[in-house]
Amino acid sequence: MTTTNKRVHQLVDPTTSAIVPEFTLSPRLDSLTNKKMGLIDDAKTNAKELLEELAELLKDDFGIEVQKYYQKPSAGKPTDPEVIKKISQECDFVVVAIGS
Amino acid sequence: MANSNIKNVEWNNVIEAIEECYSLGWSDGLPVVPPEKSRVQEFVDFVGRDPDEILGEVPERRRQVTVLKVAANAVMAGCLPEYFPVVISATEAMLTDEFNLIAPSSSQGGAGILVVVNGPVSRNINMNSKDNVFGPGNRANATIGRAVRLILMNACASIPGLFDRTNIGHPGKYTYCIAENELETHWNPLHVERGFSKEQSTATVFAAWEPRQVRSASEKYAALDSLIDVASTLGTSLANDDSVADGGPLVRQGQILLTMAGASEFWSDWSKNDIRDYVYPRIRRSVGDLKRVKAISGDYVEGDDDRYVQLVPEPEDILIVYAGSPEAAAYRSAVIHSELPKVSSTAVTREIVDTN
Repeated sequence: MTTTNKRVHQLVDPTTSAIVPEFTLSPRLDSLTNKKMGLIDDAKTNAKELLEELAELLKDDFGIEVQKYYQKPSAGKPTDPEVIKKISQECDFVVVAIGS
Repeated sequence: MANSNIKNVEWNNVIEAIEECYSLGWSDGLPVVPPEKSRVQEFVDFVGRDPDEILGEVPERRRQVTVLKVAANAVMAGCLPEYFPVVISATEAMLTDEFNLIAPSSSQGGAGILVVVNGPVSRNINMNSKDNVFGPGNRANATIGRAVRLILMNACASIPGLFDRTNIGHPGKYTYCIAENELETHWNPLHVERGFSKEQSTATVFAAWEPRQVRSASEKYAALDSLIDVASTLGTSLANDDSVADGGPLVRQGQILLTMAGASEFWSDWSKNDIRDYVYPRIRRSVGDLKRVKAISGDYVEGDDDRYVQLVPEPEDILIVYAGSPEAAAYRSAVIHSELPKVSSTAVTREIVDTN
């Protein structure tokens, strides 16, 4: 086996790491009864059907009404920040459906 | 340069150096040039910008992309320092809200990021805009396009199998960069059509499927009708209703980029807008055809074969680039579909600031 005198080279790391800002979770709901629900549909196939079924179940079981229904213009787009702001003011919780 | 950006790596010869970069997971599968600090610094110095300047972010992945990271990837791709201003502008363009990088860099549809370079810079760095325009053979085209892919993988976390969920994809995901042949045509270059002057240089990014070459008889309408047929084919990213919101168009309308080759005289009495006027209303598909392959939902009803859906939203959403062999006869154009509906991602053009 030959011995080598390897040299040390300084490389610039081309990768990045996720920078996650500090955040606190919203307080958990202690009950679903009579809460106001928001729904976000990503516009992909079956997302709407899933949310409609869920809304019906939650209405029957907990008396929940859909306060706001928002469908994205395209699944590839993040939800409009204005919509997020409004929905968080108007609703106690939000369910997001990702279709397929 | 902050120590957190530096990795000390030992090697004895060039083969070991390349293998080290493979081990670090920095490669697109092909050998890379090790991004040695001194070489990366040359790139940063060339543009005279702060290495820590943030060019943009991928908010969904919490990534910030700096001049330094872009330089390291450009070095690895085999770029020369004088290509770096182009790589910077392409990066800035793909990190804009309109381009919405999260969509083309994660979607199952498999977009490459096509970069079209316009203006004097493309000629100063000897880019190819003629035969073999999509490669191989030209260092600037090959390495600028490759730098963009390495930036996507390393700096934007678009890692195959992790955040890049492409099902099939295409070879343009290794490198996908062309220039427009501005000096041999009477047409306005792409960047002039998009609001820049001829003296400015620009990089335009486009979330692109593969270039589909079109062969036709050497006659104007034959060439355009053939192109239209290819652009309107079933099975593309645009000829379906996936992710189309209620009340929207019946299909996911998006942009299309056409590369046009052949002698300028062939189109001597046509402008790019004349070509748009002809092809735009014809890039369409009947509701009947779309329903038969379940590309849109609904049962077939009488009359569906006579009802048509446009696949491109507006005439200006047909981007036309004069590129390819000027001697081309039969093979005169290529059609490139956007991977995404326009509401999700649009082509973005950024000026290339060349301080040298």
